[in-house]
Amino acid sequence: MIKLNEVNTGQKAVVADVCGDSRFLSRVVSIGLTPGCKIEMLHNEGNLPLLFYGRDTVIALNREESKDIAVEVVA
Amino acid sequence: MSNILIKEPTIALLGQPNSGKSTLFNALTGARQRVGNWPGKTVEKKEGYYDKDGVRFRVADLPGSYSLSANSEEEIITRDFIASGQADVVCILADSSQLSRSLFMLADYVGIQCPAILLLNLMDVAEAQGKTVDAAKLEEKLGIPVIPFVAADKKHYDKFFDAIDRALKEKKLLNIGSLTDKYNSIGGGAYEKLLELMPQDGIGNYSASWLATKLLEEDKAVLELIEENLPQEAYKGVKSVLSSVENGVLETAGYKFKWIDELLKDALVYKERKIALSKFDSLATHKTWGKPLAILIILLGLIASFIPATPFMLVGSLVPKLGGPISAALSAIGAPQIIIDFITQVVLVSIYSVISMIGFVFGVNLVFGFLEEVGYMARVSYVFDRTMNKFGLQGKSVMPMVVSFGCTIGGAAGTRVIDSWGQKVLTIAMAWAIPCAATWAIVPVLSSLFFGAWAPLVIVAIFFVAGIHLFITGKLFGAKLIRDEDRAGLIMELPPYHKPKWGALFRSIFVRTGDILSRAFRVVFIVAFIFWLLTYSASGSPEQTLLYKFGQKIEPITMFFGFTWQTFLAYISSMVSKEAALGVLGALYLGGGSLFSATLGSGGAMAAGLDSALLSSLTAPAALAFIFAVSFNAPCLVAISSTYQETRSIKWTLRILLYYFVTSILLAFLVFRIAGLFF
Repeated sequence: MIKLNEVNTGQKAVVADVCGDSRFLSRVVSIGLTPGCKIEMLHNEGNLPLLFYGRDTVIALNREESKDIAVEVVA
Repeated sequence: MSNILIKEPTIALLGQPNSGKSTLFNALTGARQRVGNWPGKTVEKKEGYYDKDGVRFRVADLPGSYSLSANSEEEIITRDFIASGQADVVCILADSSQLSRSLFMLADYVGIQCPAILLLNLMDVAEAQGKTVDAAKLEEKLGIPVIPFVAADKKHYDKFFDAIDRALKEKKLLNIGSLTDKYNSIGGGAYEKLLELMPQDGIGNYSASWLATKLLEEDKAVLELIEENLPQEAYKGVKSVLSSVENGVLETAGYKFKWIDELLKDALVYKERKIALSKFDSLATHKTWGKPLAILIILLGLIASFIPATPFMLVGSLVPKLGGPISAALSAIGAPQIIIDFITQVVLVSIYSVISMIGFVFGVNLVFGFLEEVGYMARVSYVFDRTMNKFGLQGKSVMPMVVSFGCTIGGAAGTRVIDSWGQKVLTIAMAWAIPCAATWAIVPVLSSLFFGAWAPLVIVAIFFVAGIHLFITGKLFGAKLIRDEDRAGLIMELPPYHKPKWGALFRSIFVRTGDILSRAFRVVFIVAFIFWLLTYSASGSPEQTLLYKFGQKIEPITMFFGFTWQTFLAYISSMVSKEAALGVLGALYLGGGSLFSATLGSGGAMAAGLDSALLSSLTAPAALAFIFAVSFNAPCLVAISSTYQETRSIKWTLRILLYYFVTSILLAFLVFRIAGLFF
């Protein structure tokens, strides 16, 4: 298991766990990131927020907060 | 329809950002809408109405949020409104092109006891992606009217009105069993235990099952509500059940999405698509090129906004030309000179300013509304997130700031694309610190006069001070305007690019134009009138005006800050129009010419002989102090008015005005005293 910000551009992954207070959790799940959600990293460059595809849309997520999301990379 | 029993039914619009809520709201209410703030809150409140078959329907546009949790003021307001029973039917919008994610709001609504309809909006986008949605099947499963919909297309509205009629007549609630049954496996039956402890009929519009779900999600506001409504014994029971639950939010959300997946299983047909950023998007979100591209597009947008503005400005420029014929006609019928002056100066100048402003505001709203509508603004938000986040702003606040290098009026108008009121006010407060184009009509002239070859250094210093000013202003105003809980990092959807819906775009701009016109005219007229009274003299010479006498009286005070009475009056006039500074100096130092026309006339040019007059009566430190004071003063009267349009708050407009007045005088003082050490 790795952190979401460690997924490289072009890799696919499945959300395994989300940590943090209930405030953070409910923000993250309301945009669709729950355990089991499949994502594909579109852009993980420099200091910019992460860009990835999940649940039919492109999601932008702050780099710092993406460290609280654990994922399993899929081949 | 005659068989609707409620006198003035209220429809509340509920949906995630980008679900098309405002398009629907504008289409329904048109110009019959009021925009204000929720009482005591920094969140915009939009209400309106429409009449159909003799019944008046009230429409409340609830603040955009991703769910019904209590994480932000927007979400709490939305929840409280629904709980209060003010809505007769809640209209939930979902984005059909990404149903699985956008139905989360519907899943969060499960258990609220208010009739609802579900609008599957953006159906045209979904179809273009090869998706088909079986609305009838969804309606059968959910138990409430479900309508395929395109909010930007008037042809779809008959189905909408029918669905509202059905919902009001049949008062059907959303089916809940298929979701709540899933909760039973959470934390060893915690959900069922909580459900038993809840008041049987719920609280207000919140059913027992909705309350129990929110308790599992560690919702503090609901826990407080429960504490107020339950006997102490039962509340203790609730607390003890909750102590055994961990990560409730993740658990319930997991089931909500499972429920959505089951709903969509045989109702949504689509082919897997290949996912990749388009070429343009790879550039627009590039770590090196994303920012320069955004700035370039904003600058091009600023230039483009003059195209629709030009016709207005041409018409506006004809207005002052009416002055001659009108005054001739009035003196022919023997009207007193003061009336003639009042009409040709105050009235015509106000009309001229407002027409020119409306043209520009219209242009800015059209161009940047277009960039927002097609989805590009979300990319600007993305690349500038880290920069603007330091102030608690979203990345797209960079747009009004870049526009303010051209014109602060356009900057203020551009904040229309910012959806949070607090961020809007903060962005405008910061944008005032950015030297607008008019600054460069004055600063280079005066600096080269006084400092010769060193003039460019003055310009560099102004940019340097602007940077510090921006930072301090951002921190000071941000502390009041942005709540700590809203300073969290970026989580947002980057919507796909849409073809612009011109009809809906124009509607949303025109909706407020009449309102803006009348408000702007009032502000400009009142200030122009006061300024006219202060600068009025029967003979037309400055010496007999109130402003002149006042300026001379307080010169001992203004000298302390580095102003002669002439530069102080020119500084005051520069709040009305920045270009006025030179014209007023000319009128005062060279004598002759009315102060009013010097301020609101053509302006900008240096009168012949003014240079030697200035050099002989101003010291270099006083000149430098004046340059800084004018550069960082309030930008102009129309920008003040435009700030009031967008913030809709007299309190905050005056606060910003007072802040810039005080800080520019303090800045002048600092410059005067520090420069005094060198010259």
